[in-house]
Amino acid sequence: MNHTITDFQHKMAAHCESGTLSGILNYNGLEITEPMVFGLANGIFFGYMKMKNFNFPTFFVRIQPGKLRTNIGKRLGVKYYSKTYKNQEEATQELDALLLKNIPVAVQVDFFYMDYLPSWYRVHNNVHFITVVGKEGSQYLVSDCYFPELARIEQDSLIKGRFAGGLSAPKGFMYYPTLVPQDPDLKKQLKIGIKKASFNMIKLPIPFVGIKGIRKFGNKITEWPSFARDIENLSHEVMKINVLLEDQGTGGAGFRYMYATFLRQASEILNSEEIKEMSKRLMEIGDGWREISVFAARMGKNRDLGVDKLRVLGDMILKRADVEKEFFTDLYKIVK
Amino acid sequence: MESLQAEALKKEIKELILDTLKIIDVKPEDIKNDAPLFGEGNSIGLDSIDSIEIIMALQRKYEVRIDDQNLARFVLQSINSIADFIIKEKEKQD
Repeated sequence: MNHTITDFQHKMAAHCESGTLSGILNYNGLEITEPMVFGLANGIFFGYMKMKNFNFPTFFVRIQPGKLRTNIGKRLGVKYYSKTYKNQEEATQELDALLLKNIPVAVQVDFFYMDYLPSWYRVHNNVHFITVVGKEGSQYLVSDCYFPELARIEQDSLIKGRFAGGLSAPKGFMYYPTLVPQDPDLKKQLKIGIKKASFNMIKLPIPFVGIKGIRKFGNKITEWPSFARDIENLSHEVMKINVLLEDQGTGGAGFRYMYATFLRQASEILNSEEIKEMSKRLMEIGDGWREISVFAARMGKNRDLGVDKLRVLGDMILKRADVEKEFFTDLYKIVK
Repeated sequence: MESLQAEALKKEIKELILDTLKIIDVKPEDIKNDAPLFGEGNSIGLDSIDSIEIIMALQRKYEVRIDDQNLARFVLQSINSIADFIIKEKEKQD
């Protein structure tokens, strides 16, 4: 089979899920930026928890994978066809058939098997999204937000990626939009999205999410040595704070910069100076998260992991809780 | 004249990087303008943590934002690419 969807516009993006969704919606006639997808879908979040089967607590800075797509569906009236597969052959045949109909298809893969990317960059992560836009012989053409141009991947590698095992296994998951309204009521939906994000951060009655989650993170970090096997293990986990905030396709500062960009774009649509100012405020809040990220990385790298140092790190995190509480309270009032 | 300004800016960026990262055994003139700052062939041993510190230092000194790591990967390739980015951002601000 030799067929390429030539008018698909590949763009790099900060985050794979929002970038893939933005690319595929643009192809279907709805001009929408990556930050706009993220913000409309109330992507910003915070949570701190210790999961079963993991020695260390972890934190997350966005809503759960897949929710960006479903929330955009709710906000903009986008309908999708989505499917998981047990049978690899069936998944491949259906993908090829869709490509022949000029339908770009988003697929969930294990990032590790995307071998067009340098090997040092690839880690096992089952929740990576790419868009398949063509096939030439045994190679697929894919749009991956982390790669500067359309990439080629062997069919075998793509299948390995789509059917990798483990936590959050993709199970061949794919989706494409079947209905994309061209003129949604953006003003109304922007306010709903902002209100929902602010509500999640300040009002959800769950002790480990939103501002409460940031506080828990700040207060509990001095307990991290008790979870560690040894100093190497502790250092690795503390350095991971930097990775989760800066290196996991967050757009920097744990998605705070991306949400700030969304607010700036929203302020233009809503013609709101207040929201424009909130965008600037969040950029500055993001700078504080970035300082945390560097501080934690240096601590880990230098094995400087005493309780006093962890307390300083904890206090920096608690300061973010204070400023984000004020920020999201004010933001909620603006759109209420 | 323009190229003299660009050369001065590149020297200033090198000093800023060495100062920010407290690298004392390398002089600004030891860093080639087109040499990679990260990855293979990296002459001064920088890593991804250093990159965030450099981004923050550039932001403070030149009031330019590099919010996104994908953008950072391109901007922080070499002294030349950092200087080009700063010049372009300053032109946008003027």
